[in-house]
Amino acid sequence: MTEYLGLSMLLFTIGAAGVLVRRNAIVVFMCVELMLNAANLALVSFSRRHGELDGQLAAFFVMVVAAAEVVVGLAIIVSIYRTRRSTSVDDASLLKA
Amino acid sequence: MNEIPAPVLEWDLIAPLMVLGAVAVVGVLLEAFVPRGPRFVVQASVAIGGVVAALGTTIWTATRTDVLDGDVLARGQVAAEGALSVDGPSLFTWGLLLVLALLSMLLFAERRLGGGLSAFTGRAADAPGSSGEAEATRHRLEHTEVFPLALFALLGMMLFAASTDLLMMFVALEVLSLPLYVLCGLARRRRLLSQEAALKYFLLGAFSSAFFLYGVALVYGYAGGFGLAEVADAVASRTQERPLLLAGVALLAVGLLFKVGAVPFHSWTPDVYQGAPTPVTAFMAAGTKAAAVVALARVLLVAFGGAEWDWQPAFWAVAALTMLVGAVGSIAQGDVKRMLAYSSIAHAGFILVGVVGATGGDGITSVSSALFYLTAYGVATIGAFAVVMLVRDASGESTDLDTWTGLGRRAPWLAGAFALFMLSFAGIPLTAGFIGKWGVFSAAWAGGLWPLVVLGVLVSAVAAFFYVRVVLTMFFDEPRPDGPLLAVPGAMTTVVVTVAAVATVALGVMPGPVLDLAQQAGAFVR
Amino acid sequence: MGEYAPILVLGAIAAGFAIFSVAIAPLTGPRRYNRAKLDRYESGIQPTPVPEGGGRIPVKYFFTAMMFIVFDIEIVFLYPFAVAFDALSWFAVLAVLLFLVNITVAYAYEWRRGGMAWD
Repeated sequence: MTEYLGLSMLLFTIGAAGVLVRRNAIVVFMCVELMLNAANLALVSFSRRHGELDGQLAAFFVMVVAAAEVVVGLAIIVSIYRTRRSTSVDDASLLKA
Repeated sequence: MNEIPAPVLEWDLIAPLMVLGAVAVVGVLLEAFVPRGPRFVVQASVAIGGVVAALGTTIWTATRTDVLDGDVLARGQVAAEGALSVDGPSLFTWGLLLVLALLSMLLFAERRLGGGLSAFTGRAADAPGSSGEAEATRHRLEHTEVFPLALFALLGMMLFAASTDLLMMFVALEVLSLPLYVLCGLARRRRLLSQEAALKYFLLGAFSSAFFLYGVALVYGYAGGFGLAEVADAVASRTQERPLLLAGVALLAVGLLFKVGAVPFHSWTPDVYQGAPTPVTAFMAAGTKAAAVVALARVLLVAFGGAEWDWQPAFWAVAALTMLVGAVGSIAQGDVKRMLAYSSIAHAGFILVGVVGATGGDGITSVSSALFYLTAYGVATIGAFAVVMLVRDASGESTDLDTWTGLGRRAPWLAGAFALFMLSFAGIPLTAGFIGKWGVFSAAWAGGLWPLVVLGVLVSAVAAFFYVRVVLTMFFDEPRPDGPLLAVPGAMTTVVVTVAAVATVALGVMPGPVLDLAQQAGAFVR
Repeated sequence: MGEYAPILVLGAIAAGFAIFSVAIAPLTGPRRYNRAKLDRYESGIQPTPVPEGGGRIPVKYFFTAMMFIVFDIEIVFLYPFAVAFDALSWFAVLAVLLFLVNITVAYAYEWRRGGMAWD
């Protein structure tokens, strides 16, 4: 039980750190997905601890939401890539005060 | 085999959501089957009609909710097996969101300003500056998907404000956000900025919703349920594993404060507000903030009210910082849309002062004061962005603040309306903003938060100085020879600016009816 | 452990079938070469000794994959229904039908606006 939670927190931290340090929009996005899946692991672990199914049910919803997010996110990233030939988040810097 | 009982849905209470969802789905079908010629007009009419129908249904629903007499005044009930709470604050927010969305839809449908084309790109798949884009413009293509997308975002906002279950809240958060990410990237002019805004909003939004979700998971681990009422019971009764609860609250707060646009989760606001198509900015600035503030207040007051000593100091700091950064930041801006974005950050701070203020008492409560503030802020914001749409030059909207110098001489009515919205943002008496600020400050004062109130008044004074300076340069400086052209306002935008201006004055001079509505909304029902 | 035996047996049969099919084809099949054998096969990618474009895959595949993900993931909502549908009331049937109608609406949009067109 504790092990799964520890793993989940580790995954979440790796994901969050990846979002902060990586520069490629697609990699940043994959790190966000890692965070969502870490949350899924935590949800099913807690679900088992509480002896009920609500947490597992929530994991289903998270998966569907994550899939929708993938599609929207990749569409935006691809449209940027076609313009700039780059998916680096540092290149997207026209909006400055 | 055991029978699993069917869930009980209170159809009369969730009817506004059903109407709006159905219209949005019909919008997708229209997109597929209506020929290109009449599609824009059909889509716009259906979207506007759908919002009006949902508004009517909301009023009908509001007349059917019962008043509960407990310790505090409350009305409404929990619906849909504990997923939604159709109570006073929810219904008020629904009505507010629908009115704001109606005004935004009129801006979405405006085609007079861009030479007969809407503010959205003709074919989003074409790279900016490519031959395909020129061809799309030549064939007068328009993305009419914006209407169903906006309706889905509106549905998400309404669900977000009313959900009383953390899982429902997460789904609503995404239903709200995903269409907005797409809408942000669809501007017809300055498409690079628009796409960049979409990317930034998407990456940061997805990041914050991942925090929100992990917070949900931790709170579920602590409480053993997703319902806010279950969480509240656990907070009241369980004393072990407090760190789990506190970490969960902190992560949930990150996700919610991001949507509210509070410091330190505000950095996306200026970029996204500047880059997004102006009708979308207006919709997003007014609507998302309203939905997120109500959701934040519901989570904090309903679920974590029993642990308020743990989270309140952090929120005092967030509110104070948000006011300061927003007000100081808006002074340094040279772009109208960025300036309005920083102003919206400052307003988020003022609203937070009200939300973390008093929770009871027989005066104006924190929830009611926040609801009224959101109304005043929402109409003025949509009006201000509508004015931004009208001040144009050859390349589209002229948002550089320098070019607005002397606008009052050339277009007194337009500049007058903008000045009115500025004064309302500043909280000058006889405008809606004054009543709103008075409400949140008195709620915070009643809660004993006098340092925050003093800081808020000081920050208001700083901000007012700036807003008044903008008004003065518009009216008392000579117009520049290379100043912007003023588009002949289309009927839609004129209606929006007029309605927003009239509402701003009316709410300032005669706040009674709306203030009564906000107060009758009462407390959250759990 | 005993209840997992059928799965292991099934896995062994599947692996055996795959190995058998791959191994038997070169041994028994006729060897007659013609131009069609060198033509592109299903994937649409030209069989060249050095991959074209540095081995990058055309974006069309990702587009199709994304569509697949969206429609495929929705199945998770049908799965619990399928497992327990005899214990569920008519309400659940109607709810699932409504869900499928919504998916079909998205599908119709995709089809009519050319999302399924390959070229």
